[in-house]
Amino acid sequence: MHLIDRYAYSNALRHVDPLIKGGLALWIIVLCLGLNEPLVGLFAVVWMGILAVGLANIPLRTFGGLLLTEGAFLLLATIAVILSISMTQPSMDGGWTIHLGPIWLATSRVSLYQGANLILRALGAAAAMNFLALTTPMVDVIALLRRLHMPGVIIDLMTLMYRFIFVLLESLERMVRAQDSRLGFNAPPMRRLQNAAWIATHLFIEAFLRSRNLQQALASRGYDGGDLRVLPASYEFDVRLLVLGALALTNLLFIWWLI
Amino acid sequence: MSLFTFSHVTFRYPTQTERPALDDLSLTIPEGEKIVVLGRNGSGKSTFLLHLNGLLRPKHGQILFRGEPLDYSRRGLKRLRQQVALVFQNPDDQLFSASVFQDISFGPLNLGLSEEEAWARVREAAAICNIEHLLERPTHALSGGEKARVALAGVLAMRPDVLALDELMASLDPWGRAKIRDILDGYHARNKTVLLISHDLGLVKHWSTWVIVIHQGKAVFSGRVEDLLDDQGIMDETGLLAIWREAMQDCL
Ligand SMILES: Nc1ncnc2c1ncn2[C@@H]1O[C@H](COP(=O)(O)OP(=O)(O)OP(=O)(O)O)[C@@H](O)[C@H]1O
Ligand SMILES: [Mg+2]
Repeated sequence: MHLIDRYAYSNALRHVDPLIKGGLALWIIVLCLGLNEPLVGLFAVVWMGILAVGLANIPLRTFGGLLLTEGAFLLLATIAVILSISMTQPSMDGGWTIHLGPIWLATSRVSLYQGANLILRALGAAAAMNFLALTTPMVDVIALLRRLHMPGVIIDLMTLMYRFIFVLLESLERMVRAQDSRLGFNAPPMRRLQNAAWIATHLFIEAFLRSRNLQQALASRGYDGGDLRVLPASYEFDVRLLVLGALALTNLLFIWWLI
Repeated sequence: MSLFTFSHVTFRYPTQTERPALDDLSLTIPEGEKIVVLGRNGSGKSTFLLHLNGLLRPKHGQILFRGEPLDYSRRGLKRLRQQVALVFQNPDDQLFSASVFQDISFGPLNLGLSEEEAWARVREAAAICNIEHLLERPTHALSGGEKARVALAGVLAMRPDVLALDELMASLDPWGRAKIRDILDGYHARNKTVLLISHDLGLVKHWSTWVIVIHQGKAVFSGRVEDLLDDQGIMDETGLLAIWREAMQDCL
């Protein structure tokens, strides 16, 4: 959370209109999900990498690391598609089988292709999400939703929830440290469980008290219901991103058309 | 005319069974002073502060603001809160927006100002608080002292007549405190009233022009610092005497 947030605020595309960044990410996701072609996913990953690293100056390691983590989860999720497991020897043509004790693992060219197709397209969509998350602070995403006439209540909820994530993360950190320094995590398992439960309870109470204080603080600054109004941010228009983004989208469509 | 007059104000929190948080509290506060509110933990200082702009409403008794009883209607509260601004003990309770300039703009926009006017207020308050370089920052990426100054800017942007702070400086280092004190001095110089809760006796001695002492929900003193020091009875009863002696000895 902190890492993504840091880049969101310091990357070179920070001040570019979130409409461009969000629009591009959304289109990439739509293409990845809509076009049934693994190469589209692959190219989406490459394009997002180029834009994130080349234009936004996000380190390749960060971008890649994030994607690898997501890839690992995707791999776990697609194992069921790629491998079929059975207790008897499967009868299939054009496939491979491995035999581990009483269990047979089988896969075929078709299921491998399906697996790769799923992973690559999902990864393409994930890369687009990462691009947005790494280049656009949550504030701007929220402001964008406001511009797109999302109802005010939802916007305010998102603002407050986002703010509270950090406030509560700080409390959590403090509580964990307080227990840690008194050996709370070196205790016997039962005790450790109790300590964790204590933290959870107190975090909840803290969230409740904080929200009451916040309510008072807002009222004190003249808030009496309705939307929480703040100034909108001002953005730049980035032609490079616009052109390269359009190029990426055409490229993906072209690949799909070609195959 | 006095700024605030509290007469026999009593306030009890719903869960409170023993002595109420404010217990028949009466005092007057003059306008244009630098006021420090003293009192032990749990004596009712914060509760008192929350009454100043109508966030809490007394169960009994009456509060006058510039001679008029507080108007708790929606419009009345809006007017009052424009004039009397509170800064809370923990800036994290106050900063809700994701970025600094947006947080500061919240008050001015609530006053019904246009976006241009709100921007002007944001810049003005940021200049006063020395946080122009922080305007684009996310609120969660600030240090404690920076958060305190942003919280202060958030209420200064409303150009209140009365600025009331609840121990804002408690967690700041001496430099941070000095900065805040300069801001407050600057504000006071424009004929405004500054009121702050503090446990810092140095501040009482060298900064304040008026002291309020709250003890067990009652205002036991409201007056000039010299008069407080002369009043051995109150100093003794509230336990201030012993601390005071100690603090002054340290100074020697
Ligand atoms: N929300 C609440 N619910 C119930 N009781 C409360 C609440 N807030 C404060 N109290 C009680 O009211 C009394 C006065 O509290 P208050 O916060 O005004 O004290 P204080 O002088 O500000 O103390 P401190 O110096 O510790 O900040 C205390 O006895 C406290 O326990
Ligand atoms: Mg208090």
